[in-house]
Amino acid sequence: MTARFADFVERNARARGTPLRFGFPPYPVMGMSRDVLRRYIEGADPITSKPLMQEVIDALTAPLTEREKHPTIVRKPRRPRWLAPDTEENLYRKFVESGWTDGLPIVLPTEKRVAEMLTGTDHAPDEIVGQMIITTHQEKMEYTVEKVAAIAVMAGARPEHFPVILALAASQEPSMPSSTTSWGRMMVVNGPIRNEIGMNCGTAALSPFNLANSVIGRAWTLMSINFGDARAGENFMATFGHNSNYNNMCFGENEELSDFEPFHVQKGFRPDESVVSLFRGWNVLNFGLGPAKEMAHVIATFGSMGTSITFVVDPLVAKNLRAEGFKTKQDACKWIVENSKVPAGHYWEGQMQSGFAAGLAKQGIEPFASWAKLPKDAPIAPRHSPEDINILVVGGETNPMWITTDFTYTRSVSIDKWRPKCGIRRDAQPLRMPAPVTCKDGTCGIPVATPSTEPVTAAN
Amino acid sequence: MEQNGKLTVLDPHGQPTGIFGRRLEAQSNPRAILDPFEQPSGELKPMSMAPRLAALNGKTVYLVETGFAGSFEFMQELQEWFARNMPTVKTVLRHKRGTMFTDDPELWAEMKSSGADAAILGVGG
Repeated sequence: MTARFADFVERNARARGTPLRFGFPPYPVMGMSRDVLRRYIEGADPITSKPLMQEVIDALTAPLTEREKHPTIVRKPRRPRWLAPDTEENLYRKFVESGWTDGLPIVLPTEKRVAEMLTGTDHAPDEIVGQMIITTHQEKMEYTVEKVAAIAVMAGARPEHFPVILALAASQEPSMPSSTTSWGRMMVVNGPIRNEIGMNCGTAALSPFNLANSVIGRAWTLMSINFGDARAGENFMATFGHNSNYNNMCFGENEELSDFEPFHVQKGFRPDESVVSLFRGWNVLNFGLGPAKEMAHVIATFGSMGTSITFVVDPLVAKNLRAEGFKTKQDACKWIVENSKVPAGHYWEGQMQSGFAAGLAKQGIEPFASWAKLPKDAPIAPRHSPEDINILVVGGETNPMWITTDFTYTRSVSIDKWRPKCGIRRDAQPLRMPAPVTCKDGTCGIPVATPSTEPVTAAN
Repeated sequence: MEQNGKLTVLDPHGQPTGIFGRRLEAQSNPRAILDPFEQPSGELKPMSMAPRLAALNGKTVYLVETGFAGSFEFMQELQEWFARNMPTVKTVLRHKRGTMFTDDPELWAEMKSSGADAAILGVGG
């Protein structure tokens, strides 16, 4: 194990009751020359300053200690349901300084506010929703409907948003899975609930102009921080992190303007069901323009460890794809895969491929093993299956452009299970940010001058 | 409830319950490590270490490459170090099947049946 992760693996092994003996060469190993690796092995462990190979030999031959003979599992202490009463200022400080927030202001989850949030579902407060971890090396935290309600309050959500947030919690997927590679996430909502709770599926849907998009996406990350017990450097090891972690690119699919089947219907749900679908990846290339041929060209040269691509397209792009002759998203995806080939030599020159896919090829895992045997000029399609390509339609038809991501679809979760039987619980006066301005009557949102309005005259 | 200017709020970390994840099965998709529904649940039992060897002379040591980028080359160098410095130790360099995240019970069985005395897994991270 390299030295960069020394404390991580030691802690992990101790906590799991599985003591192991480690020696730590310097970091990194990837991309180092054989000379450097030899010096690592012949040199000292940077953690202990002892010769690395002497440590390795000692690890195999030194008698076991009592702790190694009789290991124990270290569990977190159980804590009470409520914090000790305190002033709002002190409690806010406690939340921030304990690492329970995303750094932005939160709403404190008081008894009254949590009780109000719970009116957003019929499910019992003590019902177990799931368990979440951000690495497989940690203790899973179990959470109830009430706990999810506390997170929803912290995120600034209203009871009408709660069914979507519960569906996210039921996915048990963290918004921030820990990886040195810095994962990002994306979530798209389909079905009637988008309009019932006022989500933005149109102009600027991925920007901060809509309460539902903002607080739902944020709640997923507050869940991951708290239920997943995320702590940077301790169990969250992303080298840069990912800016999408703040809100997880939360939006609704623009089913009304799309010429294609909604995404959740592609996944087997009825059109009248409300569903949240989740994606995970790294890269977001925020501007693409042109027909399917251009989409194929972009993904052929898009370096990534993954094999998936998710296009986020304006409704105008969906219309253009239809005009090109693609009757479904799947037709377009199939054509794009078949027309995004690159020479095998070019593929294997990429750092992502030499670092990850080459290892899979050595193990005989397909298609990488076959690709590794091809001549350099043999064409291969790095995205080898149409199922690896997704198309999501969102936006306000102000530009026929698309975003290219290497995000993989992971799961869709039904929201309807969490809806109250009496319908979405709205405030008497639902809280809404201004909707994107759409000119329907020629005024373009500009107040019409009345007789009492002083005319504006040009300055001399 | 607010009393004397003080609030009572839910502890977002209150009442944790503990279940540990573990390795993936050999046939698992590598990315299944990130899928909560593929992570086995159940109680983890403490596991003590195997008895240590008195010395490595004449012993067979498996060098298991785990699949992280650069680890194959590192383990090759490790094998060469043993050849140069401890030639009486027999080393066997093997890839762990699948990726760094998956289990390889066939390899562990092979090591037991072939008389392996010890194993070094590397290099992680």
